[in-house]
Amino acid sequence: MTKHNIRTSIGNIFVLLLVFVMLVPVIYMILMSFRTGEEIAADPLGMPSGLFLGNYINTLESMNYFRSVANSVGITLSVTVIVAFVGSLAAYPLARSTNAWGRAFIMLVALGLATPAFVTITPIYVIFRQVGLLDNYVGIILAFTALNLPLAVFFYVGFIGAIPRDLEEAAKLDNCTDFQVFWHVIRPLLGPATATLSLFVMLMVWNDFTYPLLLLTDPDKFTVMISVYRFVGNHNIEPDLLFPAAVLGSLPLLIIFVIFQRRIVSGVTAGAVK
Amino acid sequence: MLRSLFTTSVIALAAATAASAETVLDVTAWKGNEAEPAGMAEVIALFEAANPDIKVELTYISRSDTDVIIPPRLQGGNPPDVMMVDMPLTKVWGDAGLLVDWGTDAEWYGRVPEGLQSAITIDGAAYVMPLEVIGMGLFANSDLLAQAGITEAPKTIEALKAACGALSAAGINPMLMTSGYPSALFTIANGLEAATTPVEDLGNGNARFVDDAGFSAALDTFRELAAADCFDPQQMAGVDPWSTALSEFQAGNFAMLPQGAWNIGSFSQNPDLNFTFGPIPSASGAGVAADLFGFGWGISTGSEHQEAAKTFVAFWSQPENLQILLDAESAYSPFEDGGSGTPALAADYDAARAAGGIRNYPFSVGQWPGALDGEMQNAMTGFLLNLDQDNSDILVRWDETVEDNI
Amino acid sequence: MSSRTTKLLFMLPALIVLAVFFVYPIALTFYYSFTDFTGVGTPEYAGLKNYDRIMSRSRYPEALKVTILFTLIVVTVQTLAGLFIATLLQRLPAVRNFARAALFTPAMMSFVIVGYLWQFIYSPFNGGLNALLTSVGLESLTRAWLGDPSTALFAIAIAHVWMFTGYTTAIFLAGYANIPGDIEEAGKLEGANSLQRFWYLELPLLAPSVTINVMLSTIGTLKTFELPFIMTKGGPDGATRTLSLEIIENLFGAYKFGFASSLSIVMLVIVIIVAFVQNKFLRGREDNMS
Repeated sequence: MTKHNIRTSIGNIFVLLLVFVMLVPVIYMILMSFRTGEEIAADPLGMPSGLFLGNYINTLESMNYFRSVANSVGITLSVTVIVAFVGSLAAYPLARSTNAWGRAFIMLVALGLATPAFVTITPIYVIFRQVGLLDNYVGIILAFTALNLPLAVFFYVGFIGAIPRDLEEAAKLDNCTDFQVFWHVIRPLLGPATATLSLFVMLMVWNDFTYPLLLLTDPDKFTVMISVYRFVGNHNIEPDLLFPAAVLGSLPLLIIFVIFQRRIVSGVTAGAVK
Repeated sequence: MLRSLFTTSVIALAAATAASAETVLDVTAWKGNEAEPAGMAEVIALFEAANPDIKVELTYISRSDTDVIIPPRLQGGNPPDVMMVDMPLTKVWGDAGLLVDWGTDAEWYGRVPEGLQSAITIDGAAYVMPLEVIGMGLFANSDLLAQAGITEAPKTIEALKAACGALSAAGINPMLMTSGYPSALFTIANGLEAATTPVEDLGNGNARFVDDAGFSAALDTFRELAAADCFDPQQMAGVDPWSTALSEFQAGNFAMLPQGAWNIGSFSQNPDLNFTFGPIPSASGAGVAADLFGFGWGISTGSEHQEAAKTFVAFWSQPENLQILLDAESAYSPFEDGGSGTPALAADYDAARAAGGIRNYPFSVGQWPGALDGEMQNAMTGFLLNLDQDNSDILVRWDETVEDNI
Repeated sequence: MSSRTTKLLFMLPALIVLAVFFVYPIALTFYYSFTDFTGVGTPEYAGLKNYDRIMSRSRYPEALKVTILFTLIVVTVQTLAGLFIATLLQRLPAVRNFARAALFTPAMMSFVIVGYLWQFIYSPFNGGLNALLTSVGLESLTRAWLGDPSTALFAIAIAHVWMFTGYTTAIFLAGYANIPGDIEEAGKLEGANSLQRFWYLELPLLAPSVTINVMLSTIGTLKTFELPFIMTKGGPDGATRTLSLEIIENLFGAYKFGFASSLSIVMLVIVIIVAFVQNKFLRGREDNMS
């Protein structure tokens, strides 16, 4: 074994240890979800005595699980695509010019990032009611798109700024329009940034329950977090209900992430080939 | 001819069905989910059976989400027909003209006992029909007390101190007097019993906590309990009253805990835990039954189905219907002719109520501003961290908060 | 880009969304900050009363101090941890994707669950941290971590960092992915060791990721209230009461929408100042380095 290989192995082991430490609470949560209420009550830190699936059966029986997973997936993916497109489109001119208006726009974006939720919630409801976007997939997708847009613009301004300008200059000499330059030159280079941003946006949209609870009333349109927390309550700490619900709520997202990993890898590769 | 008659009757039948199922009530509540079913589903099923022309759609929204989700709907002119409300919500929404005033001549209103009646009436208006009153008192682990040779949960301060001494001598942790709510509850209960000024005056600025000998005495009592080994104040400052404290008591690691009767259900889940629920020990001897007016139903002025909504709400005021909720919640009826849903293990609390030990929790009946609740809990945590503080240092903080909120 | 019109067209969708969903609500909030609005009904004008109260009570400057300290701890620890882990992973392709996904899992859990789990870790009774310290002979250090005013804020900051280091790491890894492979190769050919490559080649090229990370985590942490709310309710006795928690407490139960609005305006002004200074400083640094 060469010296380099030994160092790589030590590094790998170190990272895996670190990952394990980070995951201990998650593992604890999963273990808890298989224990009965009595077991947890008698010894909160103990191991499950067996695989108790009652919590899961209870939780699954009492909610419209698969329908709501489909809703969440649809809403989350739509928001992610729109946010990435609108955000990168706006970020392109912002990253390329540094005049006063551009800086003002960036400050506006920072303001959007910092706005507390209670500030936007009533105006959004009132506007949506006036234009008939309540209890409507379009409405909830629009609301989540808006809430995530400041993050996307901010993100892309940073990453586009790091792309050398000579590639665009070459394309412009070939008589490409600005949009063609954006679409064929800039967008492909944003693969890693888009992949990372998508993770953030998906996480936010998937986990939020304030907006779905406010804007949707038809149980058939509910997202998975609503159908999970409707039965548990988001501030109630009854471990035998809370933990299975949490696992059921996050599991589909975890699966999407695992599938999505391939996209990240290909995004990274696309960025490296140029 | 026959055919057209048949068609007509089918249409008429369809129309009748449509008309009879026409009213759908949009109801929101922070009860009725899996964790706190509160008998909602049963009572609603009974109601729908008795009123086939009204359908009830219950949406669960947790208490804290209610503050976020309902105001936009009220402002947007699209409120639920019936909403679960507590006194702070009733005050804000009632003052804004968003809740239907039943009028003090409503049938159910006459059945509410006087003390509670005045508390739920805002400027002569009855916006909320109460559903339950729930006890806040002292949980005691019977087995641990027995191990220290104590046969009965303490009701007086002297008995409590003696019990703490016996328990710690036996190597048992006596009491979870944690940061926040339990410490505040204990102090408020004792303060209310000994208060020298009217309770509502302390919350509206007409009197000051710092001038009230009763509240100062309650802080002295608190200090004495720490000295009698009831709890380790530094340690208790770091215990969360809503998670760690509950699981520690449930696991049988501590002998006593001041908390609300709503925990009876989850504590009973541990078959090895034998416990009682009684009043907060106090100087008088009987103990304080700190009653919390929990919640009731309010009807939106913006509702298009106000008559149906009133029928629905009034249905709950019938003792046999309400009993289902009271049993599920271990609570007391807010009506004179209503029963209680407390199990036998809460007999001590029942006895204290019967003996005149009831002190309405001032926040739940709108006598003290909501912000004071948080500040009292903060100040008691500060007191745990440093018991050498002057009583007046703590009490002045409460007065300042009242001043900021009137 | 060629013309102002094209630029405007590119930015138009985002501009409309920002105007409707942020500028308009913030303008409303500014108006409410001069009223006694309760969140429902019609607000009544209250003049400068709300701002006057923020200035005249010591609890608000104290909350600001707590917020700034919390943000400083979180941003520093999280950025350094993320940079360290990303740099390691960049050199270890075998575990990179697995580790990136795994580090994200804490952020997938709700704040309620994270708060609940960490309360167990910090619990004074057989809590995980105290048990660990006892087992390595440091029993003297055990304490009620969330109950001691000198440790509570740090304890919450650690839970927060634990939750969000996955984000920082992912951004740095995206930054690494943007570094052209030939530059790294050139560095290796010239015999630069791992540390030299990091310091002289990678770190300067990571400047945009540093900017994004620092600014996002600063703004995000300034407005966070969830973990202090769940783990300590701002306690013990105000030691973890951040400005955002103050806002939430004025809304929940107290229904002081007008006052919460004035606190929010104060917070937004602070964020704008911080963002402006950071943006100037960090972008200036980017220009120097590239």
